[in-house]
Amino acid sequence: MKYLLRSLAIGLFLIASSWAAVSASAHHSSFMYDMNKTVTIKGVVKEFQYTNPHSWLILETKKPDGTMLSWGFEAEGPSTLMRAGIRKSTIKPGMTLTITGHPMKDGRPAAAWISATTQDGTVLNPRKGFVAK
Amino acid sequence: MIRFKIAACAWIVALALGAGTGLPAHAQFKQVPTDPGWMAKKAEMTKLGIDKKSAWDLYQYFKEQAKGGTINPDPHNLPDWTGVWTREASPFEFDPDQKPGGLPTAKLTPKYQEQLDKILAMRKKGIEYDPISACGVPPGMPRWLAEPFLREFVDMPSEALLINESGNDIRRVYTDGRGHPPKEDQYPLYNGDSIGFWDGNKLVIHTDELMEGIYQRGQPTHSDQVETVEIWQKTDPKTMDVFVWIYDPPSLEQPWFMRQRYKKLTNDDKSLRIRYWACGENPNNDITKEKNGASTFTDFTFTKEDDKKKGDKK
Repeated sequence: MKYLLRSLAIGLFLIASSWAAVSASAHHSSFMYDMNKTVTIKGVVKEFQYTNPHSWLILETKKPDGTMLSWGFEAEGPSTLMRAGIRKSTIKPGMTLTITGHPMKDGRPAAAWISATTQDGTVLNPRKGFVAK
Repeated sequence: MIRFKIAACAWIVALALGAGTGLPAHAQFKQVPTDPGWMAKKAEMTKLGIDKKSAWDLYQYFKEQAKGGTINPDPHNLPDWTGVWTREASPFEFDPDQKPGGLPTAKLTPKYQEQLDKILAMRKKGIEYDPISACGVPPGMPRWLAEPFLREFVDMPSEALLINESGNDIRRVYTDGRGHPPKEDQYPLYNGDSIGFWDGNKLVIHTDELMEGIYQRGQPTHSDQVETVEIWQKTDPKTMDVFVWIYDPPSLEQPWFMRQRYKKLTNDDKSLRIRYWACGENPNNDITKEKNGASTFTDFTFTKEDDKKKGDKK
């Protein structure tokens, strides 16, 4: 039980029941993702691919067996991220993030990015970039 | 071993706890509020479209109303369309008056209604493939009107450039008095051929020479006979309203009228810029169409789990 609690506490894999969203997916269907599930991962940023039409945030996380696993979180392209206040420099390799997304239905380690929280508590929500203001 | 089992359980429990918290895609966007009198105006404009036999007849009607309109206007008389814009409504509803997740407002012919029913039935099964997932294929008109991303509208005397950031998608509207190419020289174009004239601060556009296509995922399809008439008008410093009439006899029982609205974005620090980008610039966005018609990511660069899958596809 102690190990169970510690596993959860260190946040390798946590689930948040935050309000959920899905990529508007400018160029592909969203049905690859399971909109009825969310997965939350605490990991270290390996690479922030600030690309069009979608960006990908790659994190490394430690599995319960101690081995490393890379996860990819898909978000919108740079202009939408900028409108959400997420610049290329906002997320740097080596940063620790806790990120929530809708996981792939086929079990691959990828998800549609809903929200990420930095260690100082800053919340990064790509979907805010769709507000026309 | 026991520890591993417990930890593995924690992993599984965590995934299960997440179930049921998602919202459908359309729920992210609030429906744009309808301003007072809009639905009455919409009914009036819909009737106007029905009263005209074709998009060309409607365009000629507007030209007569404008006493021939203005071509090659003095640049000092052109409205200020500068800035960076974006569509206000969700990209998932082609007509912004469509309720989020509801049915399209078009009155479809039986054949195209059947096609839409099939599309919606497949979506319920999670099966969907967007033609633009094959990078290099643009949305095309009329879908261009509803795409997300940034936009710029450049009005010049001889032509207007209507630009969507998505895939550097530019429509050229010739306002120098030229007509469309002769019918015998026309060929299908993603954005068609657009000509127009100015009526005061309004740009009136006729577009033909289009391809068959789809208005958006989960929306109706249209034939290659589709033609449009648009009236572009900046109605306040932050709002561009576009009245759109779509004519497509094979797919529409009557012309489909709606208002597309774009908002000028606050860009005080000038950080928002239209950039050139290519759809295929990141291999993680590569989409494969499965045999059953569903979409899937082809091969992620950050995991080896799907490398075998990639081999299978080829």
